[in-house]
Formats: sequence, C-alpha cells, structure tokens
Amino acid sequence: MNPDRFQHITDHSLLDKFYTDKDNQWLGILLHRYTMLLFGVCMKYLKNEEDAKDSVQQVFLKAIAELHKYKVEYFKSWIYMVAKNHCLMKLRDSQGKTPAMLNEQTIVPAEDSFSKQAHLDKDKLLDAMTLAIQELNDEQKQCVTLFYLDKKSYTQIADVTGFSMMQVKSYIQNGKRNLKKVVERIIKEK
Amino acid sequence: MNKDLLNILSNSSKDIDNQQLMDYLAGKLSENEKREVEMQLADNEFLNDALEGLENVKDKKNINVFVEQLNRELQKKLLRKKLKKQKRKLPHQRWIYVAIIVILALVILTWFMIMKYQRQKG
Repeated sequence: MNPDRFQHITDHSLLDKFYTDKDNQWLGILLHRYTMLLFGVCMKYLKNEEDAKDSVQQVFLKAIAELHKYKVEYFKSWIYMVAKNHCLMKLRDSQGKTPAMLNEQTIVPAEDSFSKQAHLDKDKLLDAMTLAIQELNDEQKQCVTLFYLDKKSYTQIADVTGFSMMQVKSYIQNGKRNLKKVVERIIKEK
Repeated sequence: MNKDLLNILSNSSKDIDNQQLMDYLAGKLSENEKREVEMQLADNEFLNDALEGLENVKDKKNINVFVEQLNRELQKKLLRKKLKKQKRKLPHQRWIYVAIIVILALVILTWFMIMKYQRQKG
C-alpha cells in the first residue's frame, strides 16, 4: 500500500479509522509519517545508528500494542513520548541511571498559553512584550530580536553574533520561553 | 512599536515534511525556507530533538536508506500480524462448517426415519 495516497488524511482521522475497524494498516500509514523523526530522536539520545534503528522498530511494536489497549488523542505528542521514554529506559539500563519518565497516557500537546488570552487587547500585549524583551539577558535579547524581528536564519545570526548554531538555537528557545513567563507576569501585575 | 513582537508568542503549527528536513540538513534551503524550519524548531520539541539526532548521522545520505528499511520492516511486521489473525479465525470457521454438515445430516436422517415410519404404519 502506498502511504502517499493517504497524505490528505489527518493523524486524527487515521486513528479514528483504526479505532473503528482495528485494522493495523491505518497504524502503518500513521507510523510511516514519523519514521524519520523517530529515528532522529533515537539518534539524539543513543548516538548510534544501529541502536537507533533497533529502537525505532521497538517503538513501532510498542505503539501497535498500546494503541490496541487504549485511546490516544494526540498521536504526534504521544509517539514522541513513547520514543523518548524508550531511549531513556535504554540509557538507564546501560548506565544504571534513573531518568524521569513521562506518563504517555496523559499527553497533551504543548499549549500556546496565549491562545487563552486571544481576547486580550493587542496593544496591551505589545506593551507587555516591549517591556518583557528588555528583561532578557543580552544574548537572548540579541538572538530573539534578530530571529523574530529582523527575520534572520540561525546561520545568519551565528555569522552576525559569532555564537555557534547550537548557542543561537538555545538562546532563541530559552528567550522565547522566558518572554512568555515575563509577559504573563506583567499582565497579571497590571 | 513592532507588531512582529506578537509573532514570538504564537505557536507555529505547520508540519515540516521529510524532504524539507533533508534539504535543511543538506543546507539546500534558501534563507527564508531555513527560517520556516527554524520557526518550527522553537515550538516543536519533537522536531527539535529529531533534527539534533539526524545531525549526528555521519553520512546524511544514509538517513533515507534507514527510513526506507524501517518502513519496509514495519510493513512486513504488519502483514505477518494480519496473516496470524486470519489463521486464528480459520479454525473457528472450520467448526462452523462441520456443525452445519452434521445438523443437515441429522435433519435428512430424521426425515428418512419419519418417512419410513409412516410407510410402515400405512
């Protein structure tokens, strides 16, 4: 079966089809969509191509078995947690460490906390953002501004600032997370 | 005041396909296309982890080969499971056929007995 034929069907619809007739072919199509990402996640944690391939196969088997047992709402977040937990378990077995495991059955996608405040006056939000961006440390402020406001790519930012690509990525991600926290605080205070 | 500031707070939900990801890793994308992928990275932990991992693959050309291998294996496993399921169903079906034949034989036998009994009486 060619999974490309089902490209227009959402993950949620494929899961619904599976829960209706319990035919594993729907899971096959769904899992095909994430093979590359799952392999990438396993590579990140295990840092070995053969171990990563092995783990993706085990994640597939686990997913097929688990999806027959209980209903999953957000497949993408769920399969990511299954893969991440599998890798952490494997690392724990080989290193004797106990990583914090995430509960796979209660996964909900990362929510945009500001979607709740969609009704909030845009001008007020902009005021809060202008204040909040000043509270970031210099590196985060510089990278966030270059990325979101000057619309530069990571490579361009690395060239301008002299930071490594990994540093740029980390400053942007942490900067964004901090901005959200500060904006929430400012809005509450007002 | 720069209205683009609000973009920082919104979560991008556009999916990046495998080809886009491979092109990003190979450095084949334009600056705009690169930014599109990077906007996702800031919001999507799954993609972020995956990209970090894929960057660790020594020969990037192998990524597609591995993915195809894994997909083929998955397809084989699913097919095997399907065949097993069908085999498990077959014995039940065989018993149903046997039961139908036995019941039919009993009905015919009873009918013959009744006919014979009636003929003897007559």
